[in-house]
Amino acid sequence: MKLAVISCIHGNYEALNAVLSDIDDHQADQIYCLGDLVGYGPHPNAVVEMIRSLDIPTCQGCWDEDIVEGLNACECSYPSQLAEQRGRQAHEWTNQVIHPEVRDYLATLPLTLRQDNLCFVHGSPNSQHEYLLQDMDGFVALERVLATEADVLFCGHTHIPYVRQLNHGKLSVSIQQPGQSAQSQQFEAPLKSIINAGSVGEPRHGRPNATYVIYDTETAATTLREVPYDYQKTCADIIEKGLPPVFAWRLAQGLEFAERAEDPEHVCQR
Amino acid sequence: MPTLIAVSGPAGSGKTTWISQFFQAAPDSPQFYLSPGLGDISVDLARIGYRFPLVQVIPENQIQIALTALPETATVYIELGFHLDLNSPFFAALPCRRVAVVPPDLTQSIWHDWADEVIPGNPALPETNWPAALLEKPPQLWRSALMGQVFDPPSLDAIWAELTGGAYGAVQRAKGIFEMPDGRAFYIDFVAGLPGSEYVELQIPRWLSGRPQRYSGIEVTGWSLDTAAIAQIILDGCLTEEVIAQYQAQVLAADPAVAP
Amino acid sequence: MAHWAILSGIEGNLAAYEAVLADIKRLRQTVTELFILGDVIGLQGNNEGVVARLRSPQPGELIPQVCTGWWEEQALSLYGLRGLPDAPELRASQGQGAVKHLWDDLSRETVQWLNSLSFGFFELDCLLIHGSTVSYDDALTPETPVMVMCDRIMRANANNLFCGRSGQTFEYHLRSGSIPSTVTTLDQATDQEGQSLQPWQVVGVGCVGRPGQPPTYTLYNPGSNQVTFKTVTPAGVRGFGRSPAQPRR
Repeated sequence: MKLAVISCIHGNYEALNAVLSDIDDHQADQIYCLGDLVGYGPHPNAVVEMIRSLDIPTCQGCWDEDIVEGLNACECSYPSQLAEQRGRQAHEWTNQVIHPEVRDYLATLPLTLRQDNLCFVHGSPNSQHEYLLQDMDGFVALERVLATEADVLFCGHTHIPYVRQLNHGKLSVSIQQPGQSAQSQQFEAPLKSIINAGSVGEPRHGRPNATYVIYDTETAATTLREVPYDYQKTCADIIEKGLPPVFAWRLAQGLEFAERAEDPEHVCQR
Repeated sequence: MPTLIAVSGPAGSGKTTWISQFFQAAPDSPQFYLSPGLGDISVDLARIGYRFPLVQVIPENQIQIALTALPETATVYIELGFHLDLNSPFFAALPCRRVAVVPPDLTQSIWHDWADEVIPGNPALPETNWPAALLEKPPQLWRSALMGQVFDPPSLDAIWAELTGGAYGAVQRAKGIFEMPDGRAFYIDFVAGLPGSEYVELQIPRWLSGRPQRYSGIEVTGWSLDTAAIAQIILDGCLTEEVIAQYQAQVLAADPAVAP
Repeated sequence: MAHWAILSGIEGNLAAYEAVLADIKRLRQTVTELFILGDVIGLQGNNEGVVARLRSPQPGELIPQVCTGWWEEQALSLYGLRGLPDAPELRASQGQGAVKHLWDDLSRETVQWLNSLSFGFFELDCLLIHGSTVSYDDALTPETPVMVMCDRIMRANANNLFCGRSGQTFEYHLRSGSIPSTVTTLDQATDQEGQSLQPWQVVGVGCVGRPGQPPTYTLYNPGSNQVTFKTVTPAGVRGFGRSPAQPRR
C-alpha cells in the first residue's frame, strides 16, 4: 500500500493543490495529514474544506489547536520577539476569517493517528509543539518512537523533510537497590524510523517548493517529494488579504515565517 | 599649517578603513575627522569616535568654525561620501591633499580626475542581479538614530537577514550600531555581493543602567526601499523598558564585576 | 569535602524528620548541603510544624534547600496559585476529604512559602527534583524502561538525576549506550552517524515520612560520585551497645 503523508499546509491552497496532483500522479492509495492546516497563509477555509472533502485522516497541529482553544502558545515557543509578534498577527487574522464550521472541524481532530505499525503525529508523541529535528539526539529520537509502540513515526512541524533510521540502539544498565544484588540489563531496540513529511505550504528548506513524503508499507521505501507550484500566486494573495508582506517574501525564499524556537524540545506546560 | 587630507571614492572602496590606519597609533599631534553630508552624528562618525577616543570627530554644523580654528600641528581627514559633488565650491577652495581610494581594476573615473594620489582599495563590488532599470536612478539613503533603543538579539538577527536579503527593497549597503541587553554594543556592516555581514563588538563600557544614553543608529543605502516597513520591524525588535531592566539586573547578578 | 544529604517525602511527619536530622548529626562525615526534594507536607501529620522546622533550623544546623513536590503542587493548585484550579489530581487520588483537610490545615503564610519554593536544584552536573523534568508527578523507579530514563536524563542535561517521587531508594546506572542511525534529506543522500552515551545515573533518594516504614534518605559525595542509602532505625530498636556514631548499613 502506498501512503502519501502531508503536513503543515498553513492556508496555502495553491501549494496543496499542486501536492494533491503530484500524489495523484504517484497513485497513492491513502493520504494522511499531520495538521497545521491554517495559520500564516491566505486561504485557511479553502484548505480545510479541501482536506475534509477528500476525507483525509488528519491529526491536529499546534496552529489548529490555537484556532480552537485561543492563542495559547507561550512566548517561549518563539525564537524572538519579532517572531512572536508575527505569530500573533497571523493568529489574529486567521481567527477573524475562519468559518465557524471550520473551527468546529479543527476541534474534532485527534492528536495521534495509527495504522498498523505506523503512528502519525504533528510535532512529537509528547506534544504538538515539540520539534523532532533530524539531528536530535538518537536516544531521545528512539524514545519518542518507542513511546508510540509503533515502528515508524511520521511527524511534521519542523517544515524540513527527512527520513531517519535508528538501527538497533544498544544500552547496558545496572540497577542497585539496598539489600539486593546489582542487576545488569542489556537493551537492544528494534529498527525504528522517524519520517518527517516537511511542509506543503510553508517550506523552510531554502526553496519555495512544497514538500511531502510517499511511503510504501510493503517495502518501507520512502520518497521525499519536492513539488514546484505557483508560489507567486500565494504571495500575491497574502498581500491582497492584508497579511504582512514579509510573509510573502519569506514564502518566496523558502524560509518559514517565524523560525523555530531556540530549544526545540521545550514543551510549555501552560 | 594644519594638514588637510580629503578622501573620496566609490561606495565600499575602503575610505574609512584607509583613514583609520592613521588613527591606530597614539597621535603625537591632534587628529580630526569629518565627513560632510553625514549630519551632526552618523554611524561612521560615531564609530570613529568609539574606536579612537583621542580623535576629534567634527559634527557637520561645526565644520566651518572648526576648520578656521585648527591647531598648527593638526591633521584633518575629510571623508567625502560617494554621493557628494567633488566639484562643489566649498571643497574646491579647501587647501587639501586629495586621495582617492578606488578598486584596483578601475583605471578611469571622476575620482581619478579629481585626486592627487590614487590608492588601490577594495575590489569593485560584485555584480548583483538587480534589474538595470532599478540601478539607473541613484540609490536612496535612509538613516535613523536609535539612541536609547536596545534590541532583542534574535529579532535583530531576523531583521538583518530580511533587510539584507531584500525583503524591504534592494539594499546595497546597510550598517549600524546596535545596543544589546547585556550592555554591549555592536557595529554591523553589510555590503551587497559580499558574503555575510561584518559584526564587530565596540570596545566601549557596557551600558547597564536603563536605556543607553549614547549614540546608536542605522543607515541603509539602496533602491525601492520600503522605509516605513523597515522602521516598523526595527521597532518590533526593540525591547521594552521592563525587559531591558530585567536583562541588566540578570547580567549584574551573574557578574557584578561588569558594573560600570 | 562536600557531602550532600538528600531526602524527600516528609509528608508532615515531624518525628521522622527529626530522626533523620539526628541521624545526619551522628554521621562521621560532615554533611555540607541538605536538599529536600519536595512532599514536605501531606495528610497524616503536622504540616505547620514541619514547615516551621524547615524555615527555622536550630543554631548549627544546615539550612535545608527545599523544592516543591506532588503535595505542594496540590496545595498551590487548591489555592489557585499554580496549575489547574481546585486540585483535581488530589480529589481524584485522595478524595474530597483530603481536599478539605489540606484546605483547613495550611495557613496562608505556609501556602505563600510553598509558592516561593524552587522546582528543583541544578548543582554541578546533578539535577535534584521531586519527579523529573517532565513533571512533578513523574515517578521514576527501578522498573522504569531504560529509554524513558535516557529521555529524563537528557532533558535534565545532567549526569546525575536525584528524584523522590517513587519514595524508593535505588541507583540506576547507564554503563554504555550506542545507536547507529542514518539520515536522508532532500539535499543529501544518506548520512551515517553513530552516537554513544556517557554513563549517567538516576538515584531514587527514598522517603522520610511514609507511615509504616523507617525513614530512608541518601548521602552523596559529589567528589567521588558515591551514593549511600541510609535507613534510620527507630529509636526503640537501636541498642545492643552499638555506638550511635557507627550507623548500621
